[in-house]
Amino acid sequence: MTYWIQTILDSIAYGSLFALMALGLSLLFGVMGLMNFAYGELIMAGAYTMFYTRGSGWLGMILMTIVVVTILSLLMELVAFRPLRKASPVVLLISSFAVSYALEALGWMTVGKGPQKGVQPYPWLTTQFDTGGILISRLEIATWIVTVVLLVGMTLLLKRTALGIQLRASTEDFRMAQLTGVRANWVISAAFGITGLLASAVAVLYVLRTGAVDPSIGQGPLLVAFVGGVIGGLGSLPAAALGGFVLGVVINLLGARLPILLKSHTVMFAFLVVIAILVFLPGGLVSLRAGRLVAWWRRRRPTTFEGASA
Amino acid sequence: MTALAAPARRAWAPLFLCSLLVVTWALIESFGDVFYTRTAVRMFILLLVVLGLQIFSGNSGVLSFGHVAFMAAGAYASALLTIPTEIKSFTFLTMPHFLKFWVFPAQRGWLGGTLAGAGFALVFAVITAPPIVRLAGVPAGIATLAILVVVQVFIVQTSAITRGTSTMIGVPPTTSFLQVLVWALIFLFAAFAFQQSRFGLRLRASRENERAARSVGVRVPIERAIAWILSGFVVGVAGALYGHYFVTFSPYDFYFNTNGFDIILLPIAMLVVGGMTSVTGAVVGCYFVMIVYTAIDRLEVNGLAGAKAPSGTTNLVLALVLLMTLVLRPKGITGGKEIPWPSDWRLPRRLRPTAGAEAAPNE
Repeated sequence: MTYWIQTILDSIAYGSLFALMALGLSLLFGVMGLMNFAYGELIMAGAYTMFYTRGSGWLGMILMTIVVVTILSLLMELVAFRPLRKASPVVLLISSFAVSYALEALGWMTVGKGPQKGVQPYPWLTTQFDTGGILISRLEIATWIVTVVLLVGMTLLLKRTALGIQLRASTEDFRMAQLTGVRANWVISAAFGITGLLASAVAVLYVLRTGAVDPSIGQGPLLVAFVGGVIGGLGSLPAAALGGFVLGVVINLLGARLPILLKSHTVMFAFLVVIAILVFLPGGLVSLRAGRLVAWWRRRRPTTFEGASA
Repeated sequence: MTALAAPARRAWAPLFLCSLLVVTWALIESFGDVFYTRTAVRMFILLLVVLGLQIFSGNSGVLSFGHVAFMAAGAYASALLTIPTEIKSFTFLTMPHFLKFWVFPAQRGWLGGTLAGAGFALVFAVITAPPIVRLAGVPAGIATLAILVVVQVFIVQTSAITRGTSTMIGVPPTTSFLQVLVWALIFLFAAFAFQQSRFGLRLRASRENERAARSVGVRVPIERAIAWILSGFVVGVAGALYGHYFVTFSPYDFYFNTNGFDIILLPIAMLVVGGMTSVTGAVVGCYFVMIVYTAIDRLEVNGLAGAKAPSGTTNLVLALVLLMTLVLRPKGITGGKEIPWPSDWRLPRRLRPTAGAEAAPNE
């Protein structure tokens, strides 16, 4: 029993990471139709920043990571995506592919050489302490807190600020938003900035969790977040976050419990599900659920009225 | 004169490109050393992939990241049916019986193996066609990528049939340069023929404006499916040839590899850089990217004036070339047009097609 609670708590921490990542992916997808494959390389950049600043205390390390990743994200937009503003989403897709390759190759050329690098885990952060039979580490608690804070922050930003309203308007209909006075460059830069911020948070939490650092570090998390986002529905921010979260939790739970043979083919089934979702439910699973519920609710009310009058 | 000029004009572009390939082959065969031959064979095999990609993506406008999956299908199927029985009986100890009893005795020749591999890729294309043809744009890109991942995971995890992450042993080295050239010529004509056929024309109409095409009765999914299956066959042949030339291959030969020879990005980069919508673009892009790629690769391996470029430079340069093309010349070097008839060369000189005409004979 305690084992299960522990596994579930750990899975929640793990899933939170992917919720954050899927949120970043979804934001860019909504605002400019960009499926950003280069997102994993932001995490790579964050991981290496942590590696090189690991001597300057944990606070300095985290601050540096946030700064570097956010700047890289903004630069990415400026160099690779701003010139392609008018291009079709497919061109943006190829472009993000190219950016991802370029950054990863750059990683292999410069920081990726030599022996395996890693960030030494902080003992006070990863040591598990006993709370009523359940072992929890401070890192897990930190992950939950950071995720909750960022999600609440994102919600407040999107609902309460002028920028948030502009962002949401752009997600709905970019051209219409522009016509009503939303500045395209500003909104897109802001979206990339926020993405960078989220990516830096993911990078810090992920690297503190795993320790090892290499140029391909971003690919695994990106794949999970991406699959989760598509399954949840990339078009909607909460749906994508939920999708990423659920997939992360499921993977961690399966990883703990599933026999090897099944585990090895899980990825295959996940991607088959992706194809099925894209074909049959382009809006993602959550959109189906919500749409069904709404439709059911609407259908239900008039009939009860008629039933009452008749 | 005009009666004769029309077919001659139509045959001009394929004939020009064919002679380009043949000249390349002749030059490499007579003057090239082992390195040049290997590079050229690799380039011609990649050209097959690019042609396959052009048949589907170029005509339909739907980008595919997943065509390398057909390559893997072709390579593995062909290898399984050509490896000598004695070798198979100790490398595939755990193969299930329903495959064993006909895969083990099978020992096809080079043509039989290639056709079997390509046929398997074709079957795979038929299976994957229904979901893919219903998608366009970004979802199609993601779905094709998903197919690639599915195939990769399947190969790695089903070691009873594919030897998992281990390399294949005992694949007969039957692919010759001439053989690759002949396949390239065949598919070059096939790509042109498809482009000019009613299927190709309908598909290109749907590329330009899907709604308009639908409104005049083009059944877009069916047209896309035809191109998808044909391209699957072409890329399957490329995979089989690859397997029988490089002999020891593993699943990672058909997957992302940012730190080395990357077979996913290269064909896409070639097609986009050359100009997606024309076969000339596919060929020109293939030559251009391969020359740049090989040059940088040499810098990495041999170095220049004592200084070696760090490993990874090739992929960095490749990605940058692709990015620059997207920004500066979105329709590719050729502008997406076929190579024009010689007497037309000078007229639109200030416009586009000259780039394609000049870039091609350089090699």
